[in-house]
Amino acid sequence: MIGTTFRLELRRSRSLAFWLAVIAGAYAGTMAVFYPLMKENAALFEDYMDIFPEEFMAAFGMTGSLGDPGVFFTTYIGSYVWPIVAAIAGIILATRPVAADHDRGFLDLPLSTPIARVPYLGSAIVVQILVMIVVAVAMVVGAVAVGALVNAGFDAGRLFLVVPSSAAFGCAIAGVASVLAVVTLSRGMAGGITAGVLFLMYLANVVATIEPDVEWLATFSAFNYYDTTALIDEGTVPLLDLGVFTVVAVVGWIGALVLFRRRDLAA
Amino acid sequence: MTAVIEATGLTKWYGKRRGVVDVGFAVEEGEVFGFLGPNGAGKTTTIRLLLGALRPSAGRATIFGLDAWTQAPEAHRRVAFVGSDPGYLGELTAGAQLDYVGALRGLPSGAWKPVAERFGLDPTVQLKKLSRGNRQKIGVVSAFMGQEPLLVMDEPTSGLDPLMQREFLTILSETRAAGRTVFLSSHNLPEVERSCDRVGIIREGRVIDISSVQALLAGHWRSVNLVLGAPPPNGTFELPGVEVISASARDVHLMVRGDVNPLLHRIATLDVYDVSITTPEIEDIFLRYYDDGAQPLAEEVTA
Repeated sequence: MIGTTFRLELRRSRSLAFWLAVIAGAYAGTMAVFYPLMKENAALFEDYMDIFPEEFMAAFGMTGSLGDPGVFFTTYIGSYVWPIVAAIAGIILATRPVAADHDRGFLDLPLSTPIARVPYLGSAIVVQILVMIVVAVAMVVGAVAVGALVNAGFDAGRLFLVVPSSAAFGCAIAGVASVLAVVTLSRGMAGGITAGVLFLMYLANVVATIEPDVEWLATFSAFNYYDTTALIDEGTVPLLDLGVFTVVAVVGWIGALVLFRRRDLAA
Repeated sequence: MTAVIEATGLTKWYGKRRGVVDVGFAVEEGEVFGFLGPNGAGKTTTIRLLLGALRPSAGRATIFGLDAWTQAPEAHRRVAFVGSDPGYLGELTAGAQLDYVGALRGLPSGAWKPVAERFGLDPTVQLKKLSRGNRQKIGVVSAFMGQEPLLVMDEPTSGLDPLMQREFLTILSETRAAGRTVFLSSHNLPEVERSCDRVGIIREGRVIDISSVQALLAGHWRSVNLVLGAPPPNGTFELPGVEVISASARDVHLMVRGDVNPLLHRIATLDVYDVSITTPEIEDIFLRYYDDGAQPLAEEVTA
């Protein structure tokens, strides 16, 4: 029975996963085309960036030289397209099995069969993880493949280290959206709250970087923990950041499973 | 007889809004139990409580002795369900959806085919392209495709055309003949009259009557029209349960409730040209429960 629900979730997710993978891969590939230009003219870009306050540039991920692949990737891909793609995937996938299917009146059907609620939702969570990994891999593959074509000189091994962090970031979003979906039983509400919280976190991170007095705000922002610069440029795996995302995702999912097990599915 | 479904004091409040209040009934093995009520009376709430989708505010329901809320997955091993206008996954074909539900119920792939053929269901069409009636067919096929001993059906024929409704009744009678138990919520009163052994009537969240269809019909007024050869003597129809509605010379219109034999014996003493006794349709009875002018319900509850 778990296999049945897992296969159905996989089937329902394949279109979303495919298109998000295409978007992430194509975007990363398109950006990679410009990397050789950035690298050749890094000094020029640094002069240009000096016009702006350092904190302001840092707020948008631009710390160091855009000629460094880590800075380039983080600025133009990691902190730009991935949060959007991960938010879309996380919210849609996490709110579907309980909230959206409840909204459309489908949920009563599988739950009137012998499958228990925990494995039912659990199989959907496994699909969320898989989709996040697939889309994150597509993003990196896009950058690596196009980078190879334009002789960008990316270290493919280092770039692929981005996958776990990126997937974990997406899973954290999915974990939060999952628990909200079970609590609210409304895709609109759960998705809206998740998106709103992400937006506030983004603002908090920007403000905390620009204004040292409120630097502490960054502690509460997911974007503060998603930085792929050191990972690509130095090969340092940010275990703390990875751990934060993993904890948020796991706590969210476990919370969703525990609550769903005894959730009154009142309309 | 063993109670397959048993509800005791079953109550559900949605905040301050009433769902059902103190609902109690038992459905015995092998019977077809009809559950009647208008929109908003609490039929679907009762069914969702029985299926463990809702947590009771008070009371308890059991399915084969298993608690409907805390032991739902175990209970569902022996239940097939069809909802009223259930949501479907539009991207699937009818066959894929039926295979999905079948797999969750432990049925082999394609178990739905024989029933689908009887309903003329095209399994290759995507659900989002199907009409309301054809989508409802999927629910009905889904309910009948297995051999679970209990079928719970929430307005299964709504949206089906008359031919399909007839086929539904045929399969339902086969199901009953096979000894399976059916809990059938319906608006379709003739369908209930034809297929059910007993009927529960729910109004404003409360079960107000449970009885056999025959008892339900017998316990209500019947209309008797007489054409006599001569005016009857005064007091001829002063009998228990008999009410004279109109009497003009030789035409007499009576209403009789309960045992009709005393009246028939009295009529036999008269010179009768013509007589007609009209048994009320179950629909008439049903409507009486919702008619402000109806007799006090407490008098009619036979549960």
